[in-house]
Order: sequence, then structure tokens, then C-alpha cells
Amino acid sequence: MAQEAKEKTSSRKSTESAGKIRTVVKRMYQQAQQAKEEKRKVAYCMVMCNYEEILEAMDIVQVYTENYAGLCAVKRQAEPYMEKARAEGYSDLLCGYAQVGIGFDALRHELGEMPPDAPDGGMPEPDMLLGCSMGCDPRWKWFQALGRYKDTPIYNIDVLMPPSDADMEAIKEHSVRYMAEELRGLIAFLEEQTGTKMDYDRLMAIVRQVEETRWWWREAYELRRAIPCPMSTQDHFVLFVPHHMMLTDSFTLDFYKGLYQELKERVDNGIGVIDDEKYRLLWGVGLPPWHTMSILDYFLNFGAVFAAETAYMVPESFEIPPDVTDPVQLIAERAFERNSALQWRGQQAGGVPPLAQAHLERIEDFSIDGVVMHITRSCRASTMGQILVRNVIREHYPKMPVMFMESDIVDLGTYSEAETKNRIDTFMEMVGAYKGSAG
Amino acid sequence: MTNVAEGALDRARWLYENRGLRAKELAAQGKQVVGYLCCYTPAEFMTALDLVPYRIQGGVGKPLKQADQHLETIMCPYVRSCFDLAMGGEYDFLSGVVIPHTCDAMHRIYDIWKYHMKPPYSHCITVPHMTHRASFEYFQKELEDFQHSLERFVGRSASEEDLVRAIGLHNRCRALLRELYELRKQEPPLISGTEITRVLVAGMTIPVQEFNDLLEDIIAEVRGRKPSSDGRHRLLVVGSEVDDVAMIRLVEDCGASVVMDDLCTGSRSFWEDVDHAKGAVSGLAARYLGGITCPCTYREGKVPERFSYLGDYVRDWSIQGALLYAIRYCDTYQLDAPEIKGYLESLGLPVLYLEDDYIMPPLGQWKTRIEAFLETIEAGKEE
Repeated sequence: MAQEAKEKTSSRKSTESAGKIRTVVKRMYQQAQQAKEEKRKVAYCMVMCNYEEILEAMDIVQVYTENYAGLCAVKRQAEPYMEKARAEGYSDLLCGYAQVGIGFDALRHELGEMPPDAPDGGMPEPDMLLGCSMGCDPRWKWFQALGRYKDTPIYNIDVLMPPSDADMEAIKEHSVRYMAEELRGLIAFLEEQTGTKMDYDRLMAIVRQVEETRWWWREAYELRRAIPCPMSTQDHFVLFVPHHMMLTDSFTLDFYKGLYQELKERVDNGIGVIDDEKYRLLWGVGLPPWHTMSILDYFLNFGAVFAAETAYMVPESFEIPPDVTDPVQLIAERAFERNSALQWRGQQAGGVPPLAQAHLERIEDFSIDGVVMHITRSCRASTMGQILVRNVIREHYPKMPVMFMESDIVDLGTYSEAETKNRIDTFMEMVGAYKGSAG
Repeated sequence: MTNVAEGALDRARWLYENRGLRAKELAAQGKQVVGYLCCYTPAEFMTALDLVPYRIQGGVGKPLKQADQHLETIMCPYVRSCFDLAMGGEYDFLSGVVIPHTCDAMHRIYDIWKYHMKPPYSHCITVPHMTHRASFEYFQKELEDFQHSLERFVGRSASEEDLVRAIGLHNRCRALLRELYELRKQEPPLISGTEITRVLVAGMTIPVQEFNDLLEDIIAEVRGRKPSSDGRHRLLVVGSEVDDVAMIRLVEDCGASVVMDDLCTGSRSFWEDVDHAKGAVSGLAARYLGGITCPCTYREGKVPERFSYLGDYVRDWSIQGALLYAIRYCDTYQLDAPEIKGYLESLGLPVLYLEDDYIMPPLGQWKTRIEAFLETIEAGKEE
């Protein structure tokens, strides 16, 4: 081995902001459980469905089931729920989040109460199930499967992801119209469920606040271009939590302002994640191994810092047009602009597939020396296309090392620490050689 | 047409065993053949523009040669197989490829196919997952976009009359297939599941008018049969892609008759007609989004209403047992499978769940399980 991996992790400088997240998550579930006791409406949700502001404007408490599965994995308490799902007839190859979520609700149904020792007290019983087609198929199929265990109303919406080579100008009008109609259908459903009418002025104010929140997160994220990098991917994979699960909370706006200040101070003072940053890595597409996040620290031993990610990405910038007064129309236009941005830039770049385009941009902008992708056994959507991305990277950066790590988002049984470390050792040798040859 | 076979079913078998030959012949004669994946692709648009629609298939029993270098192992094995054949030159005769975004695998393979195969023409149709009123309006726009895309490719336009004519041909095909399926209702069925599979696959590889002519001959031939009942159990197969006879033939070799299916290569692809009374494209949008029972489309409602069409099949085709066939890594089907199983069992049917990687079905293991399953049905009959 060209470089000895030193077993030290104490030099990692995690942000203070990231250190707050565990408390925030616990409080989030406590508040959801309390809201349920207070008879407020609780919804099972999926992240990035573009309905967060609408739910907030209707005072609906949002519980994100995929992320609860991730929490179970982090706490290594996913197995009992996965086993329950499999006992109920679901394949062990099904989306790991869905396995945990279905197993959780199947168990609750069987017990007639919250499963004992459920992480952070468990997800409260929902009053409605709200899925969407953004991201992957289980995100709109999973809740229907819960019909075996609960008679809870479901409303799913389409959130479109335009094809890579679509003529965006040609499809924009009907795509935005469809998104707006989907959101209006959801609002009608929510009005029926809650017995209250949507306050559109309030909705518009929430949308504005959300965009301000995103602006601060994006600004904070951009600071990671600095050398040394002021924040690691280990932090990113907790810092996304307020945005994805508490997007409309005023706390979240303040949180990302605080993150920006913290990172700015680090950059201004040349403080990096580690003292001697040798290499900068990109965590490519592929959700992280929630069950063993500590493996990411292993890279630090080589002087390697993950400076950017293409998972749980910060939303694209979006300027609220001054002439749009209908918040639903605004959300619909925003969804289209954001979900077509990479495709459009890929087209401008000569036909680069959007997933690859995201990587090329990060490699350039964040001075990346190597890319790590995570092949997750049970997550098709974040795994399919990784080889294509590697091939496109090689076209643009022929010697850029790309590593495939293999395990799963939740299933610990798929993970081999020894094998993973062996791969990392080899990969880091290649990164060292690459960086050396690049001067 | 190159065809050494004599009877209509023999012709279908020849086409099945020599897939692509007829299309290659047409391509050599100057016809443009456009390949497509998935039964959500409205082939009518291609027919209307005098293109030959060709449904791309995988290769059961053909281990992957090149796809492993380009596709992740957890991707839909059927899609991987199709892509592997394409990489090996099997589909070089195609002038283009159309892939609808119906599931995650279809979505991802589009960019990968384009990147590696560089087809002269390609188009991805965004298919809504929902069936709200606005979903149909959106899908109609998407199909208009698809039509314009094809028109630009061939350099001519399809008129409403062209589309209506094409719809008429494809509706005729659907009607003939339903008529053929009717012949499976009687005991014993006049045509086996293995034969039906060959017919369906053959039809995916030739122009619709040729298939219609073939179907008429097949129906006449099958009607002339006078089989005697041998007491075989009558089975329903529910699943996704079955474009090879291996599994169905195994089941029938074990002593059962596959008399009905809910497969995307089977009844799902032709059960509903296109009604063009309110316009051709509107009718196509309504049929392709609303008329296909694939789990990739979200349909409101709970069990039993959601699967009641299967109950109709069970009743009308006198089903005695059901096989649920899952291709590994298919999230949409696997999320429905336990409920489908529960529903069919609630009808009193024994259900056998089979799962494989599409490419190399474990026929030896399955044989034992199928034989045991048929014994279960027999035992149930005797009780």
C-alpha cells in the first residue's frame, strides 16, 4: 500500500451546526407525536414532492417515512421492521426504506400500538398518506401497500422529471400546467380532509420563506469550494435534514443562516475538515450507507475530504418572478425549472446525460480528485446509471479515479467492512497517483 | 415473406424462433423499423407514419455478454437483457428507439441506450403515474409531442385519418387476440399457453397488418381443433414480461394448462381498445394511460376493487390456481404482489409465487415447486 491509512479520526472538524441535528430530529418526532395527541392532522410524506409549503399552509404535520427508515438504519434498528415486511410477503430486494416503513406499520397494526423501542418514539399514526412520483417508484406505491394495515386516505401526485433530450421550451407550458393541476387536486383533497380552506396569501409567504431558506443553504454549500474544504459529506448527510423534513419551519431558515456564518468563518480563517487536506472527493450518486456512516471517516485517514455530493442535492437556484401572484402556479413553475435544469445544461454541453452533468459540474466547481459512488442493493433509483456516469466522467477526465462502494441504504447484512476498506485503500492509491500526475 | 412453415401456428412459431428476421427483411427492403420498450408505447403513431413498430425483447437463456459493463446488477434483468442484445448487434436493424418513462428502469435505460447505441432516432415518452383528469390532458400533450418527433424523423406528417386508420388496424389486432383468448375459455382450451406466448411474441416483431392476417389464420386453425379433456388444472399467470415460453411450457409440461394471463406481454397489452370518437390522440392517451393494468400506474382504490379484473378472469376462464411471476428488482410489482396474492387467495385459489432474474429461470427448482403446487390444487379439488 503506497500510503498507510492512519487510524485517527479525531482531526475531523465537524461543524457545530451538524452537532445540533440529533436534538432537532428527536424534537421533530416528539412534536409530531404531540401533534397527534392534540388531534392535529398528521401526514406521512415523501421528501422533495413540492407540497411542503402547501401542507404547512394547511397546518398539517409532516412525517417523512423514508427518512424514518434511514434513522432506524443509523440506529441499527431497521432489521426487525425489514424482517416483518418480509414475513408479510415483501421481497428482500424491495426498496429498503419501503421494507422498513411497511414493516413498521405492519408491526404496529399487529400489536395495536407503537412498536416497543421504536427509534425516537416512532412515527405517529397518520391521518393521510401523501406520495409523489418524484425520484422513484416506491414513493407513490408504498403507501398503497399500507392499505393492508390501515384505512387511511391516500393522495399521490405526479412530479415530472423531463427527459434528458426534451425540448424544454416546447414542453414547459403543459408540464407546468399539469404540475399546477396536481397541486390543486392535492389542495382540494386536503381541504376535504381538514375541513378548512387554503389561505393562499399564507402559502405565498411560506413559499418566499422557503426560497430564502434555500438561498442560505445554497450559499453555505458553495463555501465548500474553498480549499481546504470547511465541511465534510458526513456533515452534509445530516445537515440536509432541516431542509428535507422541516423545510417550512422558521427554525430552518435560521439554521442555514447559522450554517453559512459558521462555514464563512471557517473559510475566512482557512479552517478545513482536516488539518492537512490532500485530496478532495465527490460523493457521487447513490444514497449513503446509513447503517455505517463511520466508514466515511476512513477516507480522512488518507487526507481525503468529501467536498461535494450529488445526493440530497441543494435545490437549483430559482428567482421568484415578480409577476406571478398565484403561489400554486409559482410552485409548479419552480418544480419544472428545477427538474429540467440539469437536462438543459446537459444539452448545452453537447448532450451530457443530466445525472452525469451533475457530476461534471461538481468535479469542476469543487476541484475534485476522485469520485465515490454507492451501489445500494435495494435502491434502484440512486444506483441505476452510476456506470454511465463513470463512463461520462472518464470521457472528460480520463484518469479520474471512480470507486464503487457496495452495500445498502439500510440493510446491514449487505455490508463488509473489510472489503470496503480494501477497496478504499486501492482507490486512494489511485487518487494519490492521479493527483500526483496532475501536478 | 421468408417463412418455411405451413400452418398458421407453425408460422407463428417460426417467427417466434427467428425473432427479428421479418423486421430485418423489411429493413433491407427500405422500411424503417422503430424499436420500442414496454406496452405503454402507442405503436399506432409509428404505423400511421408507415414505420414498422418492433417491440424490443430480451433473451431468456442468453447470459449477458456486454451489459454487465454498462448496467448495474440491481437493474431490471429484463431491461439488462434487452440492452445486452442491442449491444451485441441484435437490434442493429432498428432505425430508432422509443422508451416510455413508465418505471425507474425504463427511465434510466433511455439515457444509457442513447449514449451507447446512438440510434438515428430516439424519443422518451413521459407517462404519468397518476390517472387524474389532468394526467390524461398532460399525456395527450406528450403523445402529440411524440407524434411531432416521429414526423420530424420521417419528414412527413400523420393526418387524423392516418391515425384513425392505424388505430383501426391495432384495434382489429386487439379484437383478434381477444377472440383467440376466448378459445381458451373452453375445457379443454383450444390453444395452449405455450402456443399463445409464441403467437404474442411473433406479433411484436411484424407489421400489424401482417399480424392481423396471421391471427385470422390462427383462429381458423385453432377453431378446427377437437381436443378431449384430460383434466388439466387451469391456471392464470400474473406478472410482467414473459416473452419466452420457458416458464409457461414448464408449467404445461407439469400437467397444467395456462389459460389466462395478466402480463404486459399478454392480455395487458391488448385488452382495451382505442376509442377515437373524441379525436385520435385523445383516444390514444385515454387508452394507454387508463387501459393498462400495469402496477406502474397508480390506481385509486383498495383491494378487492383494485384487482377485481383478475376476479373476472378467474370466473370467466374457470381458473383453478394462479402463478405470480416476478422479475427480480421490480419494485412496482413487488409492492403489489402480496396484495394480489391475498386477493386471489380470498377467491379460494391456490397461489404460487415465482421469482427469477428473467435471464436464467431456475427451471429445475421450479419444476418441483410447480408439481407440488398442482398437487395442492388437486388435493383442494378432492376435499
